[in-house]
Amino acid sequence: MTALLIPAALLLGLVFVVPMLRYVWLSGHADSVLTGLVAIPNQGANWVRLLNDARFWQDAAQTLRFAVVSVGLEILLALAIALLLDQRWRGRGAVRALTLIPWALPTTVMALGWRWIFNTPYGPLEQVSGLLGGPALNILSNPSISWLATVFGDVWKTTPFAALILLAGLQTIPSDLYEALKLEGASAATCFKRITLPLLQPYIALALLFRLAQAFGVFDLIQVMTGGGPAGSTESLALYAYLNAMRFLDFGYSATVMMGSFLLLISLCIICWICLQSLQRRLGRA
Amino acid sequence: MIKRRHQAVGLSVLAFVLSVLLLPSGLYWAQARSVERVSILMPAPFADASKELVHAFNQQHRGEIHLETIRGPLETEAISDLAISSLLLGDAPFDALLMDVTWLPKYAAAGWLVPLDRWFTAADIDALASGAREGNRYNNSLYRWPFTADMGLLYWRTDLMEQPPKTPEDLVQISRALQEQKRVPWGYVWQGRQYEGLSCVFLEMIDGFGGFWMRPDKGEIGLDRPAGVKATTWLRNLITSGVSPQAVTNYAESEALQSFKMGDAAFMRNWPYAWAELQKPDSAVQGKVAVTTMVAEEGVSPTATLGSWGLALLQTSSHQEATAEAIRYLTSVDSQKKLYLGYGYTPTVQALFLDPELMDVNPILPDLLEALEHTKPRPQTPLYAQFSDVLQRDLNGVLTGNQSPSDGMAEATSTSKTILRSAGEVMP
Repeated sequence: MTALLIPAALLLGLVFVVPMLRYVWLSGHADSVLTGLVAIPNQGANWVRLLNDARFWQDAAQTLRFAVVSVGLEILLALAIALLLDQRWRGRGAVRALTLIPWALPTTVMALGWRWIFNTPYGPLEQVSGLLGGPALNILSNPSISWLATVFGDVWKTTPFAALILLAGLQTIPSDLYEALKLEGASAATCFKRITLPLLQPYIALALLFRLAQAFGVFDLIQVMTGGGPAGSTESLALYAYLNAMRFLDFGYSATVMMGSFLLLISLCIICWICLQSLQRRLGRA
Repeated sequence: MIKRRHQAVGLSVLAFVLSVLLLPSGLYWAQARSVERVSILMPAPFADASKELVHAFNQQHRGEIHLETIRGPLETEAISDLAISSLLLGDAPFDALLMDVTWLPKYAAAGWLVPLDRWFTAADIDALASGAREGNRYNNSLYRWPFTADMGLLYWRTDLMEQPPKTPEDLVQISRALQEQKRVPWGYVWQGRQYEGLSCVFLEMIDGFGGFWMRPDKGEIGLDRPAGVKATTWLRNLITSGVSPQAVTNYAESEALQSFKMGDAAFMRNWPYAWAELQKPDSAVQGKVAVTTMVAEEGVSPTATLGSWGLALLQTSSHQEATAEAIRYLTSVDSQKKLYLGYGYTPTVQALFLDPELMDVNPILPDLLEALEHTKPRPQTPLYAQFSDVLQRDLNGVLTGNQSPSDGMAEATSTSKTILRSAGEVMP
């Protein structure tokens, strides 16, 4: 029987394990335009550089902030949307399909759209602010708020994905549970707290982890919308790794940045998992 | 008997059909073996503009060389990514590449390019305008032959002033006067976004204040010296004093052009391509624009950042002679003339700037030549992308008010020095 697993194992090895090992290996070498693109072992110099690289840590903090805030907002919104789409009402099928549109559109195209929407002074947002007599907003040229614009773009785009997972979760909850609780005279809020939330918890966890991993590796949205600016304030770790590889031709360090962000992501996921476990235990007791 | 005749007829029909089918492919095969197929990767607008030239070249070399251009992405950085990806994989599907001036040291150091010295003589080089001779060499070898010249220019409004400003102070004064008279909402629009265009703007200003960005060969960084801080402060003050809109810190070329084209500014920094855009019927400043070289302090020679695209031959090409022939053709005096008349691409050959036929079409040609005499390349090192990236981050930080000019320049200097130092450890 185990022989049947060989093709899948081979595929996994080829697609995941080999590139990972290659990255680990590369992060221990100097391999850049200065070495003529030949890998030369450099005794962990890349890792020392990473630990002392203020830009790496600044980008890590920015990536974390981006991921946590956008995924948090997405889950909240997705829960509301999923609850709405789970109810029976006329035209629900069409609306269900429509909510998926942002998710189906290519990120690059939408990022260009957002860049235009937030444009000063010709973007529609500025025009509205001008009509209302407000000041110039300058959202994409203000380092302290530009990142919120990228969060906005990400939430708009990926909330439907989280909503889809949560909707699937809602549909696995048998309706007789609700009927039973209602017979005991429970309110809708109680039903939500006692049935929906505990039973939906594994799906929330799934959506959270999927989205967290994805948001932590954000590249296309940032690259197109802000290019990492202004003043480097929206640069993500993936963008920094890309710059090192494709612009600076420094593959050794780029691999180290990727490995570093991978380790950070793994720790983030573990922390999330522990939090969710304790939350579930508390919900189970309640 | 009848059956056999039928068979014979059937066989001959079959033979005929087969020969008709096979003949063209046989001919094609024979031809494909002798014709050298050369392909060149270019950003799409360049490929479109060279279509007629490529056609003429193929007519001339029928049966010997077949040239084709590959339409790459429009954005400089996107085409660089595409080229680098194929070069890294080892066997690029093109023989030559149209490259930006800043890529050259990096590509040459990576060993991807073939020196062109064999195909271009000293006389060829002497025929180029002085500014077009820059930025084609690395370690004393010629790696790129200029296809079109490009340099930073100061656009000014002839309906708002008699003479363009010469110094940074003039520019600010004229702008403020015009703004106070409510003749124009903004004085000066330029490229302040965190990207390569900002480095080009800055090179012109730091040189214009008598300083320098860096001298890679001596390992010197000039950003935190007085001229660097002065240039940075000047740019920041443009924004705080309202001469430039705050949004300029997110402007690239197209945003600046949009604003100037709508008549919203008295000055704009841009490249020669903007001229044609400003002369279109939908432009509010049609016929009211002239160009000059960027402002510089009294007694300092002004600087125009050298742009320019050129053709480079790839190490992996198996048709090097044929490719060099194509490069020669595409950059010949005749081709440059056609590209200029048809598409407005600035020539690189000195003589063309004084050609009456060309001057008729475009009156700014002498101004372009003058700017071309003041061009300076950005620091020529394989690590240029890193240095430029550091400058863009810190400078944009200053422009958006995140840090003071002296702090920003001090940080950019120390980061640049770290890059130089770690490069020294790798490079013997």
